[in-house]
Amino acid sequence: MRIGVFICHCGSNIGGTVDCKSVAEESYAFPDVVFSTDTMYACSEPGQQGIIDAIKEHNLSGVVVASCTPRMHEPTFRRAVERAGLNRYMFEMANIREHVSWIGKNKDANTNKAAELVRMAVSKLRLNRDLHSKSFPVTKRVLVIGGGVAGIQAALDCADAGLDVVLVEREPSIGGKMSKLDKTFPTVDCSSCILGPRMVDVAQHPNITLYAAAEVESVSGYVGNFEVTVRKKATYVDWDKCTGCGLCTEKCPSKKSFDRFNEGVGPTTAIIIPFPQAIPKKASITRDACRQFTKGKCGVCAKICPTGAINYEQQDELVSMKVGGIVAATGYDLMDWTVYEEYGAGRYPDVITSLQYERLLSASGPTGGHVKRPSDGKEPKNVVFIQCVGSRDVSIGRPYCSGFCCMYTAKQAILTKDHIPDSQSFVFYMDIRSPGKGYDEFTRRVQEEYGAQYIRGRVSLIYPKGDKLIVRGVDTLMGGQQVDVEADLVVLAVGGEATQGSPQLAEKLRISYDSYGFFMEGHPKLKPVETNTAGVFLAGSCQGLKDIPSSVAQGSAAAAKAIGLLSKDMLASDPQIAQVDMKRCVGCGKCIQVCPFKAIKEVDVRGQIKAEVIETVCQGCGLCNATCPQGAVQLSHFTDNQILAEVEALCRF
Amino acid sequence: MGMQKELQAAIKAILPEVDCVIGWGSGPDPLHGAPLFMRSEDDANRFASGFFAVNNPALFLPEYKGKKVAVVVKGCDARSVGQLLSEGLIKREEVSLIGFPCQGVVDHDKVAAALGEKGEMGEVTAVLEEGDALVLTLRGETVRLNKADVTAEKCMRCQYPNAHIADTFVGEKREPVATADDFADLAVFEAMSLEERQAFWEKEMSRCIRCYACRNACPLCVCRDHCVATSRDPSWLTQADSVKDKLFFQVIHATHLAGRCTGCGECQRACPVGIPVLLLKRSLARSVEKLFAYRAGIDEGTPPLLTFTLEEPTIKERSW
Repeated sequence: MRIGVFICHCGSNIGGTVDCKSVAEESYAFPDVVFSTDTMYACSEPGQQGIIDAIKEHNLSGVVVASCTPRMHEPTFRRAVERAGLNRYMFEMANIREHVSWIGKNKDANTNKAAELVRMAVSKLRLNRDLHSKSFPVTKRVLVIGGGVAGIQAALDCADAGLDVVLVEREPSIGGKMSKLDKTFPTVDCSSCILGPRMVDVAQHPNITLYAAAEVESVSGYVGNFEVTVRKKATYVDWDKCTGCGLCTEKCPSKKSFDRFNEGVGPTTAIIIPFPQAIPKKASITRDACRQFTKGKCGVCAKICPTGAINYEQQDELVSMKVGGIVAATGYDLMDWTVYEEYGAGRYPDVITSLQYERLLSASGPTGGHVKRPSDGKEPKNVVFIQCVGSRDVSIGRPYCSGFCCMYTAKQAILTKDHIPDSQSFVFYMDIRSPGKGYDEFTRRVQEEYGAQYIRGRVSLIYPKGDKLIVRGVDTLMGGQQVDVEADLVVLAVGGEATQGSPQLAEKLRISYDSYGFFMEGHPKLKPVETNTAGVFLAGSCQGLKDIPSSVAQGSAAAAKAIGLLSKDMLASDPQIAQVDMKRCVGCGKCIQVCPFKAIKEVDVRGQIKAEVIETVCQGCGLCNATCPQGAVQLSHFTDNQILAEVEALCRF
Repeated sequence: MGMQKELQAAIKAILPEVDCVIGWGSGPDPLHGAPLFMRSEDDANRFASGFFAVNNPALFLPEYKGKKVAVVVKGCDARSVGQLLSEGLIKREEVSLIGFPCQGVVDHDKVAAALGEKGEMGEVTAVLEEGDALVLTLRGETVRLNKADVTAEKCMRCQYPNAHIADTFVGEKREPVATADDFADLAVFEAMSLEERQAFWEKEMSRCIRCYACRNACPLCVCRDHCVATSRDPSWLTQADSVKDKLFFQVIHATHLAGRCTGCGECQRACPVGIPVLLLKRSLARSVEKLFAYRAGIDEGTPPLLTFTLEEPTIKERSW
């Protein structure tokens, strides 16, 4: 074999703490190395051309590039060696940036380690074989998980591009958090007026299949051909028959059920249609609240329903489907703010969340749009808003900024003035963060035109005094002076967190998530909607909290990625997969048991049981390889011999 | 000899239903038993249980897959069968188990040591069991040995003397010798410094002749002649006569048995040069019991290392 070695300086990224020239010189001593050089930027156009020229000039049969992480540029260099006529897998990468130059300053030690990593890469490369991709057909259907505004946008864009779309929503209606909002910043236009038509579009689009009150049960398969099972939860109402007339909700005798849609502002019935614009506009029964289930007798809704849609015997239903791509748009939940003792930890009824306040402001909310405080139904005059509740607070493990609270608090202060002209709003804030089109102007308007009093400081205590609440804070712009505000109502700008069940869904989708449960994008700048799992894309707040414009933009972006992926008829499979050596296999079946992808099956070969890899399902994780006691399962491109060669190269002395 | 007659009767009773009954017969000398494969009543008459029935008959079961066999099992043998079943290496409907209350088995290394200069084990011409004593005849003399002094270590800490899975159980179940495994043997080893442990293994493994008797005696080794240790592709071990390679094989064998080894001790018993290879396996067994709350061969369900779960119920990785 004739191996060429290229040591990249990466400007000063590597060259600063590694003597690249001497690593290149040392590499000549490694077996089969016939050419070695250092290069300023191996990934640049002249850098790649240098590799191609060297392959041709020195008749190289394999290439090692020592530079950054393979996550970054392995595909780049593989394409380069392919352009020079080699198989793309006759290439190895030694990571001397993240693993060497960025983590140590000792140039001698770094240079030595860099050379050892190159030696390992050379040793592995000597055992590389040409590998060839196979192509397989794709399923031109997209699964969108979550029917909030981001998911709706992604679903509509994909459907408009001609793809079949399956939209799965956990709640009985799509619409997400946006459907709970009264108005939206910075234009103060009606949320349901702009979202409602989009929701109707979803319902009416011929390419979209909507599963509301459903969750993703399991995901298997791979990009282009995922096998998805969706659990349609029992709503105890046959939605094929339900016309959404709402008679049942009027007659239901159990009227003390927690109103999820209205964030618990006022009770609701056990059988509900969440809100007037709900899509689908179908009733569903909350089992825990329903007398038929808790007491065993009632049946009022079944009697009243004109179409006989009520079915107390209904069971969850599993629906399986094949999809080519998946968009996760599961959104966020408000964090549990009752961890804050200083705000009363939930003891005071007139301390409410911003989302509850939205429901009080909304004309379709339980108060019909009249702002009435929960304790006695009186109209509040002094409303205090507290920002950064559960955001930017290291003490409760939430260091991040939720991003949208500054803006919606400003909007709510404006709406307060609109609803109650003789009211006064006070806003305790840390900083005002309003970097968006028309955003900063908006936060100025609330102060200058609507007279909201902004106080820069944190609140240390809320305590009741008569029928009022005293909010004690500090005004840091007045020299740290203590401020006591007498409030009729306190609205907490509660920060968001990844929605409940996010980590579990991430694991089903085999995507990464951060310590707060937000899904990880492929690259924070260059791959904002892709994940590291091919075919799975992200939209909206599940990737990180964001406001409506950004969520919609990301929904469209994710749709563009899904459309791009499924615009091809065939995809190329990764040939770095497991293979079974039939001669060595003893049919013990351990590989079958450990495979997380169900990619190995038992086959009968002339009366003997053997394992066989299903090539298109294998993801190349290597668990079977490590488990096989007799070494019969080998992972192409990472065979035992290749790994052992690397170990041997490192442990020579 | 009541037990032996009862077991023979049980064997004869099941013979018509099976291809073969695996048990023990007499070995090359009075101190040694040997596996016995019984297909007729005459064979069954040669069955011998007791103190010298040391071999683990579970070893042979995977070879009989597809045929119906019965097997006479001690408590420890039944654990091996249990593990083979839970790994799907044998089928429950193809195996019939005859259990009995095991009173412990001999450790030949201890006998050899007890005899000392009085003679070799091969010179023993007769053995009589008299209560707690063994009466040996060699070189025309009688030697009395206390049975407790020559009983295998595993029997001294035995928690499962009665086969926990048995289709037929002969005799009254006996009380276990111990209620829990204190891993005292590991404690002795772990009292040594790392350097001393390294030296210990280098000394012990230097005797290894790479005969792989330990592997071939293991009822849970599935590979046998396809062993990674003797393979050139992948080439895990060299053929060099080095302690490194010898120890490497033991480490491979032990890790392949992690969460699977039931501690039957056949590996160590089979070793012709007396290397304490069971130590490695017991160390891993203890770890698996601690981490996954799993005892190989006893607990039902898939062995913890032969499955892929996102979250182990016994390991609290996350707390949401």
